[in-house]
Amino acid sequence: MRIAISAEDRDLEARVGDRFGLSQYLLIVDSETMAFEAVPNPGASDQRGTGIQTVVLVISKNVNTVLTGYISQTAKRHLSTNGIEVLTGLYGTVAEVLEKYKKGDLQKHMGVVRKPESRGVKIDKVALVHALRSSANQFANLLPILVSVVLLIGIFNAFVSKELIYSIFSGNTALDSIWGACLGSILAGNPINSYIIGGELLEYGVSLFAITSLIIAWVTVGLVQLPAEIVALGRSFALVRNAVSFILSIAIAIITVVVLNLIKG
Amino acid sequence: MISLDKDGPQSARRKRRVLLTGFFPASVLVIYGILFAVMPDKASMALRSSGHVFLNIIVPLFLVFILMLILNLFLKPAHTVKFIGKGVGIKGIILTVTAGIISIGPIFAWYPLLKELQEKGVGNPLIAIFLGNRAVKPFLLPIMIAYFGWIYVLILTVFTILGSLGVGYSVGALVKEKTSLSFHV
Repeated sequence: MRIAISAEDRDLEARVGDRFGLSQYLLIVDSETMAFEAVPNPGASDQRGTGIQTVVLVISKNVNTVLTGYISQTAKRHLSTNGIEVLTGLYGTVAEVLEKYKKGDLQKHMGVVRKPESRGVKIDKVALVHALRSSANQFANLLPILVSVVLLIGIFNAFVSKELIYSIFSGNTALDSIWGACLGSILAGNPINSYIIGGELLEYGVSLFAITSLIIAWVTVGLVQLPAEIVALGRSFALVRNAVSFILSIAIAIITVVVLNLIKG
Repeated sequence: MISLDKDGPQSARRKRRVLLTGFFPASVLVIYGILFAVMPDKASMALRSSGHVFLNIIVPLFLVFILMLILNLFLKPAHTVKFIGKGVGIKGIILTVTAGIISIGPIFAWYPLLKELQEKGVGNPLIAIFLGNRAVKPFLLPIMIAYFGWIYVLILTVFTILGSLGVGYSVGALVKEKTSLSFHV
């Protein structure tokens, strides 16, 4: 079993860190061999103390349990969601706390009951309720925009003539694909909306080339998110990735529809 | 999905997002309100047309919910995180493609994590491949199939995945890595 302990120094005699997100080190200990690795806590310099970097680090280290002084509810929730047990309110040296943990004193004190490791596919109630809640949240987040798009499609159907559509999407494969990719690059949001818009445009007789490039560019190219992508991943990465994705959305659209037509004869 | 956005400046960002998300539905409702006042016939026609669209997507939407539930039940965020940038060569690419396909949530929520991975040495090509494969949405397949048919969806999925490799290759060739720890692809 692998245990992550927040620590003020890089050995087992170090004191347990008061705060999970801000302590200087994380000691990743194998509870059976007591072999350990001291990892500088990437969140130590993050004065906001959000702990995101520490959470990511712990998850990536295949840790089973986190022992610490204090942890934010948000970080605890994310660790628990990933099946990582979290015990807080601990103090003393890392070695002392580990010893207590191995004896089961900490778990008894905190009323923690270790679940037997399940083998095979077994759904427990808590996981099901959590999954239901997450799905309901995701669905609820998706619905307002989806309903609005469908209502807007109604207005579109009532007011926009086929002639107007044909003046934009003329039936020229290359041009239609470019227009579709442009539209997909500007519009953003859940891709389900692109499928619905594409499906309705198809009924208007707009070519599948245009619709396909719209659907691909909707997710892979993001003019709206471009500033955020530049900040996170760098200017050249964001610009090159979006430019190449734009071009490829057109190419993929053309290849997809050509292959589809070949298969359908 | 990992997005610890309850604290600090991220909270303001979240509020702004909520405002923006609410702005669009509110605008549509205002448009309908004006239409019903000015052109009630056209407004009724628009509403009927929307009703038809809803009827067409209601069953696929139910399937979408079921698929979301299954994914949430069996795929923990850690699985996705662990996939990105693990392994080398073909294995690394396959794992990253898988991570992109099973990743959920809005893209901006992924940026902090991707930045983290980039700083840890995950190569730009793999990050680009991950982003490209977010276009493949398994839980939205029922809606897509309902509109376009499964053959189209299958072909598009295959070419989208291949296309993401093209984007990854191009980014690798054109963008200088931030770090020398590029041990992938």
